[in-house]
Amino acid sequence: MSSHPSLSIVVPARNAADTLVYALCAILATRLPRNAYELIVVDDASDDATATIAARHADKVVRLSGRSMGAAYARNRGVDLSRGEIVAFVDADVVVRPDTLPRMVAMLAEHPNVDAVSALHDAKPGARNFVSQYWNLLLRFGEQRHLRDNAQFPSGCGAVRRSVLLAAGMFDEWRFPIASLEGVELGQRLQGSGRRLAVIPELEISRLKRWNLRAVCAEVWHRSTLLSRSLGYQRTRASTPGEVVFTLSRSLIPGIGILGSLTLVAAFIPEPRVAFKGGVALTVLLLTNLPVYRFYLRTRGIGFAIAAVPVHLVVQAVSAVALCIGWVLRDAVGDRLRDATTQAYSEVGLEKWPPVPRRSVQS
Amino acid sequence: MSRAGLDDVRYEDLPVKADDRIATAPVSQRRPTPRTSLIVVLPDNHVVSPDRLAERLPPEGAENVDIIVACAGQPVNLADLQRRVRDAQFLLAPAGTSTEDLRELAMKQAPGDIVSLLNGVTLQTASWSERESLNFR
Repeated sequence: MSSHPSLSIVVPARNAADTLVYALCAILATRLPRNAYELIVVDDASDDATATIAARHADKVVRLSGRSMGAAYARNRGVDLSRGEIVAFVDADVVVRPDTLPRMVAMLAEHPNVDAVSALHDAKPGARNFVSQYWNLLLRFGEQRHLRDNAQFPSGCGAVRRSVLLAAGMFDEWRFPIASLEGVELGQRLQGSGRRLAVIPELEISRLKRWNLRAVCAEVWHRSTLLSRSLGYQRTRASTPGEVVFTLSRSLIPGIGILGSLTLVAAFIPEPRVAFKGGVALTVLLLTNLPVYRFYLRTRGIGFAIAAVPVHLVVQAVSAVALCIGWVLRDAVGDRLRDATTQAYSEVGLEKWPPVPRRSVQS
Repeated sequence: MSRAGLDDVRYEDLPVKADDRIATAPVSQRRPTPRTSLIVVLPDNHVVSPDRLAERLPPEGAENVDIIVACAGQPVNLADLQRRVRDAQFLLAPAGTSTEDLRELAMKQAPGDIVSLLNGVTLQTASWSERESLNFR
């Protein structure tokens, strides 16, 4: 491995005491000699024992104080301290396989034309409850379906050449104060500057985070509003079809279109029966969702697929409302901004620790 | 983490430095630069040359760098180490304390925003990452 480029592994963590030890132990169990990489954990103002757990295994621990600034900001602080020619990002709730990181490094070492590489979610997430399984499988469905044209740089586990990352301006820490689409945006930016991103389908990661329906709806709401308001729907859709919002909306939007048409037609039908029209619309929506349900059927069986139907409809409805609100806000208010204090600090160039989030090129 | 005997951990007090107040100040207090801590972990029965340790560490009086040497058991040359690395805080845990536990104990004492952790065993043949850890910003 000595001929391989040096590697820095950056793990952003916020209140991750429950999962961080598993994530770090999985990294240490990777098939790379310990002296071939440095392990940096960035504690994003946690309230729990994240920093002390990190210290048990990491080479460097960065403690960000005050309020949480987001995963994009935390990753960038890790990159600031990193020295490796390749920087890998592994989330604090992600368990990598022993060959995940070595193969990423090998890919970048052997293919000079590839600038970033990432892994996929596996079909066996760590949390065994139904909603966690549903959500992680949905992420996997989106990623698998668009392997070839998937330009996002999934921040769950990905590696990128340090020089390329720095040239691209790193993660957009100004626009993404909450972990969500910063990997999508970075992937779009890298690809826009002519860089090549590769996804290795055989490389998989497991997510340990336990989801419930409320948390999934909140995540979908956040991703959808942010996507439609901050990034612009069409622009991002063209380059990141694997994003879970599009996994939801791809079948939803034709459904909404057909529902609208049916509603229009119904206006001319005497004695319209609402239940009938609603049933037709629901059937159309279910049919357009068939690929997702078939995926659940294949991976988890008939019972799981049936149980996933109502959950998927709820999540889709949340996504649709959030997308619409995001579009309205984009036109009415404009792009999302940081709070007034952060903006003022940024304007005057205040030198402080932790540093003020850097304004992105686009903002 | 094995808790056996952790109550017996001793901290070798040093003369109070002028900037120690910063370490106890609220973390939200604004500073222009990050405070840095370096933790050197010396496991059981590990003998490290004081000169070797000193030459690997930041120069004495380096600004904003706190050095903590965490030892499992009392090193035979503790006095020499303390004399050679004067700015360091020595954390003496009971013999048998694991490396991970030493790191955790030292982390709780470290006031830095950026904490680098070095394994004393590899000080003499430090990997590139450990060597770079000493290049403070």
